[in-house]
Amino acid sequence: MAASEQSSMPGARFVDPKILMRVGNLELLAKTVVDGFINGLHRAPFFGASIDFAEHRGYVPGDDIRRVDWRLYARTDRYYIKQYEADTNTNFTILFDVSKSMNFTSGDGPTKLEYGSFLAACLGYLATRQRDRVGILTFDQNIVTHVPPSAKHFNQVLHVLDRAAAERPGQLSVALHQVAEHFNRRGILLLISDFYDEPDAILDAIKPLRFLGNDVIVFHILDPQEISFDYQDAAAFEDLESREQIPVVPDSFREEYRRLVQAHIETLRRKFSEQRIDYAQITTTEPLDRALFSYLSSRGKLMRVR
Amino acid sequence: MTFLAPFLLAGLATIAVPIFVHLIQRERTRVVHFPSLMFVQKIPYQSVQRRRLRHWFLLLMRCAAIALIVAAFARPFFPRGAAATLAAIGGSREVVVLLDQSASMGYGDHWQRAKDAATLAINQIGVADRATLVVFNRNAEERIRATSDRGRLEGTLRAAQLTDGGTRFGPALKLAESILTRSTLQRREAILISDFQKTGWTGSEDVHFGEGVTLTPISVASTPAPNIAVPSVTFTRTAFQNQERIAVTAGIANKGAAQVNGVPVTLEIGGRQLEAQTVNIAPNSTTSVTFAPFTLTEPSVQGVVKTGSDQLAADNSFDFVINPSQSVSVLVIDSGANPTSSFYLTRALAIGNTPTFQVETVAAARVTPQMLERRTVVVLNDTMVPPGLAGGALKSFVERGGGLLIVFGARTTWPQNETALLPGTLGTVIDRADGRGATIGFRDYSHPVFEIFKAPRSGDFSAARVLHYRALTPGPTDRVLARYDDGAAAAVEKRVGAGRVVAWTTTVNDEWSDLALKPVFLPLVHQLTRYLSQFEQTPSWSTVGQAVDLSMLLKTKADRVVMTPSDERRPMGAGDSAVLELAEHGVYQIRSASSPSAPPDRIAVNIDPAESDLTPIDPAELVAAVTGHAASTPTAAGTAAAELTAEEAEKHQNLWWYLLVAGLLMLTAETVVANRLSTKERFT
Repeated sequence: MAASEQSSMPGARFVDPKILMRVGNLELLAKTVVDGFINGLHRAPFFGASIDFAEHRGYVPGDDIRRVDWRLYARTDRYYIKQYEADTNTNFTILFDVSKSMNFTSGDGPTKLEYGSFLAACLGYLATRQRDRVGILTFDQNIVTHVPPSAKHFNQVLHVLDRAAAERPGQLSVALHQVAEHFNRRGILLLISDFYDEPDAILDAIKPLRFLGNDVIVFHILDPQEISFDYQDAAAFEDLESREQIPVVPDSFREEYRRLVQAHIETLRRKFSEQRIDYAQITTTEPLDRALFSYLSSRGKLMRVR
Repeated sequence: MTFLAPFLLAGLATIAVPIFVHLIQRERTRVVHFPSLMFVQKIPYQSVQRRRLRHWFLLLMRCAAIALIVAAFARPFFPRGAAATLAAIGGSREVVVLLDQSASMGYGDHWQRAKDAATLAINQIGVADRATLVVFNRNAEERIRATSDRGRLEGTLRAAQLTDGGTRFGPALKLAESILTRSTLQRREAILISDFQKTGWTGSEDVHFGEGVTLTPISVASTPAPNIAVPSVTFTRTAFQNQERIAVTAGIANKGAAQVNGVPVTLEIGGRQLEAQTVNIAPNSTTSVTFAPFTLTEPSVQGVVKTGSDQLAADNSFDFVINPSQSVSVLVIDSGANPTSSFYLTRALAIGNTPTFQVETVAAARVTPQMLERRTVVVLNDTMVPPGLAGGALKSFVERGGGLLIVFGARTTWPQNETALLPGTLGTVIDRADGRGATIGFRDYSHPVFEIFKAPRSGDFSAARVLHYRALTPGPTDRVLARYDDGAAAAVEKRVGAGRVVAWTTTVNDEWSDLALKPVFLPLVHQLTRYLSQFEQTPSWSTVGQAVDLSMLLKTKADRVVMTPSDERRPMGAGDSAVLELAEHGVYQIRSASSPSAPPDRIAVNIDPAESDLTPIDPAELVAAVTGHAASTPTAAGTAAAELTAEEAEKHQNLWWYLLVAGLLMLTAETVVANRLSTKERFT
């Protein structure tokens, strides 16, 4: 991290070589095939010209006769067309929640905003190495910044991440509805948020993205205290976004709070799973590389299943 | 408990601060920022109002801490425990409780209040303390000496009785001084419980407590204290048909500030009321009541004058015993040559009534030894020794107790064989007629004859001129009673046997001196004759506290039985001391043990008239005179225990220190409890 901070490239501090060293041993495989022309590690959603044979299909008038498999015609006396899987780049868009609730840390560690920035940078870098087009969209209750996906926008993405500031209250469902209007091509959407909203509202906002054929990956970032609620002293708890204060006696609140948070997480996990949305809950104290490693491992398994 | 600085208790109002804080406290200023209260809002929590009730203990601790600290600053102390505290902190005490038991303490409830105050003082005697109980009237008596046993002290106190004695603080204070001076204990103090009669303290008592010895006065005096008393009785004797009639005049004193009217005054003689009168007495004044004369038929008649009733009954009656008047038989022997030689002398003696003098004048040549019988005094007035008395008759008379007055003049001669009767050696006639004459310059005022002239303006001897006198050289055993201005003896006394001889060196008429024309002549003659006759008037009453020698009073020695006014039978053997101390108000009866049916001799005893004057002295004045420094004057009603000033008591007890420490400890405990509570739950 210290080395990256000394780099002259904006946002380079997010590309922690230590993290990349561990994540770089894995392949980030796109879940779905997206349109594109550039070969990469991702499977294209369309058949095309590539070196990997996919299947044969019968000839129909209008097909390019150069794709007729003449050897098969010789054996079967029928015209078949050879189809190949085309490796092409995809749009990798980071949807980053920069609402004020993300600007929270319970200790010396990074805030959720910072941690999310690290995570986004890492995954964007990986996508760039996969020759995917990388873009970013930050939002709170509205869209704050939008960098369209491009093979050349990685630096801009890093710049946006570096300048991201949690200044306004967020409203996830409203913002995501606006986000859906910006995507007319299928791709990978990486959603990073703390998801302080009702699960149904969140799903309602994410579903349009999913229906567009996007592969949605959700990172639910929480501070450990947001899960454990391990406060000792009674105090006035102030909502970072609404500024509302509520007297809280942690000892008497803790158990009930934990139960509600876990229920929220489980609800999100279940509902995202039902929508075939990958969901990962990460705490800001959790090593970033280990979290990515475990996540990408699960993505690999899903790809093999498909 | 009381406080040295009670105004600081106003600080207790600060207790309202924690109460106010507890009432208004809702949360602390510390705020924890949290990303979202979405889940917290879903959790029901108890309101501040309900939780605050759970902090009553904390509130009480805070209030108690403030109360303790405020009380510490107010400097509390226990006044009743001051003495005990002092004993515990400042060392053991040597306490002398001086309890006035004089007759004046019988006024109202003075005696009971005094005993209560003494009981209170005794109750404050600590284990290491020692107390002495001294009761006093005119004299002081140590009832119990230096003990820590409260039971014995209280028992002795209960046994103490009111007496009829007078009041004198001097003996009691001297006794206390001697006890305290010998004490080795650290704190020495005397507690004087009295009505502080002004008459009990003359100011000339030589009592001075040493350094470190304190005197605490406890006054039980009542103000005002109206009182009616019979301080005196006088008798007027008259002769009527060879019987002696006596008129009693009683003085009635009103010691109060208000006039009293219709005060009954009665006279009882021999147990029978003779007369009753009523009088009106102006405030702080005295009046007299004269009763009708009655005939005295027998010796030693008991009488009493009684007046109204008030809170001091002891001085409402005045007892007396009346005896028939006594007379002194005087035989005046002159030369017979000068008819005026005994004129002034006999006229002077005829005037006397206490005693009366029965005078017979006879010429020396006609005197016989039988004339000396039943004579008390013989006067040889400017004459020779009668031939009939020569040869030892006169000497024998004197030796038996008779009195002989020898008046020198031009016709005086003294035989050599009678020099045993002559005080000194007779010389020649000294002529001082060339000048103003001689005067009597020196009188021996210590002698009974001249004692009454001791006071100023009690007799001017210098006015008398003596033109001639006979020189007389006193013997070594003779006593010069008076001298002329040139030092020559004017009067010389000689004791012969039981009798007395006085030689007067100039004439008692106007032949050699004009003394007989001067006012002092009459009392001088009376005093000389009374002295030579050894006359002692039997007093009609005595005062409580006096002691009488019965053998002298009754002129006999025998086994006697004395009945005191309280009907106590007190046998007195002939070989025992015949001194009887008159301690009770009333009439003592003295009977002969050998003839108990014979009429008794009586001695009437009255309380000291000074006891009727209840005017109190300022106790602080007495304390200042005794200790040399001022002192507080507590009253029996409230501050009997205030041996210490409030500052001293508070200083010795130091309760503020304990309260302050307790308050600080309470604050520490409050801090711990508050921290625990705040870590457990902020909003209670």
